[in-house]
Amino acid sequence: MGDPALRVRDASFSYARSHPVLRGVSFHALAAEVTMILGASGSGKTTLLKLVKGLLPPRTGEVSVLGARVSAPRRGRLDPRVAYIPQQLGLVRSLSALDNTVVGALSRIGTLPSLMRIPPEPELRHARELLGRLGIAHKADEPVQELSGGERQRVAIARALMQRPRVILADEFISDLDPLTSAEIMSLMREATAEGAAVVMTTHEMDVVREHADHVVVLRGGAVSLDVRGAPEAALIAQALRA
Amino acid sequence: MRMPRGSGRIVLVALLAALALALADVGLFDVGRLGRGVRNLGEFLRALFPPDPSTLPTLAEAMLETIEIAFVGTALGSLLAVPLALLASPILFGPAVTGPVKLLLAAIRTVPSLFWAIVFVVVVGLGPAAGALAIALYSLGYLGKLLYETFDGVDPEVVEAVWSVGASRAQLARYAILPEAANGILAQLLFMFEYNVRASSILGFVGAGGIGFYLIGYLELLRYDLLLTGLLLTLAVVILIDRVSALVRRTFLFPVSPPAPGE
Repeated sequence: MGDPALRVRDASFSYARSHPVLRGVSFHALAAEVTMILGASGSGKTTLLKLVKGLLPPRTGEVSVLGARVSAPRRGRLDPRVAYIPQQLGLVRSLSALDNTVVGALSRIGTLPSLMRIPPEPELRHARELLGRLGIAHKADEPVQELSGGERQRVAIARALMQRPRVILADEFISDLDPLTSAEIMSLMREATAEGAAVVMTTHEMDVVREHADHVVVLRGGAVSLDVRGAPEAALIAQALRA
Repeated sequence: MRMPRGSGRIVLVALLAALALALADVGLFDVGRLGRGVRNLGEFLRALFPPDPSTLPTLAEAMLETIEIAFVGTALGSLLAVPLALLASPILFGPAVTGPVKLLLAAIRTVPSLFWAIVFVVVVGLGPAAGALAIALYSLGYLGKLLYETFDGVDPEVVEAVWSVGASRAQLARYAILPEAANGILAQLLFMFEYNVRASSILGFVGAGGIGFYLIGYLELLRYDLLLTGLLLTLAVVILIDRVSALVRRTFLFPVSPPAPGE
């Protein structure tokens, strides 16, 4: 068993004037493991990932990642060791696959080269290597909006890996992919865990859970209804979703 | 929300009464005056036609100066408007920064371009330099607002994704906001340029260069046939710029494709 990469303790959150989205959520995810967060739409999965990333502050409770308490700065820099892949991937449409990948290295690039969009050569080389490892080196100079769904997913992963992450947070990013592409993407996530990263992803895909989950957390109505190591039986998950 | 019938009627009657008072106040109930106006309009239209093309070479030269004023003014204004719009964007800065910048842009917008032209005629003297500076300042006020509203419309997921990598504000602007808003920026710049060509055509009224100097002169000399030539030339140039803008949009705007499978 690896070290706890992130820990959420009794975290609650609500958007202004709305019902609580998260209610007293507690769980921890280990390094070198894939933690899958399941739950119906509106159960608080995306909000939970944003709390862990520091994009939102918990109303109560505490979130710590890599041993440090996460504060949600309104506009300050966020921890680059925690990569976040949003549901729609958050790629910059007019930039090439290579430029989108280089975005992952921004915390290591100075202001002037950033403003001139001339990243240091080693970062460019590393970005090209990553795109090569992900099988899309030949698409490096194409705008991401001209790529297929699977290719865009790979660019988003390349951007995340470019951060040299210790934690990867991925929000339903394999939804609606065909089974083959989905399996390829998951094997890339597995490679990341093999290098010691903790992967925390939300999903609806039960097949993916069965094959790849080391740890499953089920959310229902903003609260944890199941937290088990390993891939639990589908019936247990279904019960937790209805509980 | 549906207004109750009774109070709705009261509001309608109050509005009609206010309109009637305003019409009387501005003199539009003065039948004698309106009758004279119709006769004057007939004389004016007779004096306009046919347009006299004899001054076309002079007007064309002045029109070119008008376009230059609009071009230089839009370029200078946009150079300042982009950084100010970034400072006014709540994506990047808190209200302590965005508030004063928005106030500054609003203050600049409040003043009409013709007034700025008078100010710059006083500052730099008669001629197109005053016009270009007036248009630059006027564009700054409008473009600043249009651009920060464009920036606010950038997909929040893209902003979150780039912010998440540990990017600074400057990096967020360069790698997320500006490229994502590129279409909007270009569209606003083209709109502003088209607008400025029209706005520049009257700056000559106060000696700030361009075709306006001749238009006001023909108006004062009651040479409406020459005035019509100038107006038709302005119309032709505006239509031409509209076509060129459409071409630029088609060439440079990146297409926004529907999400690929899997998104």
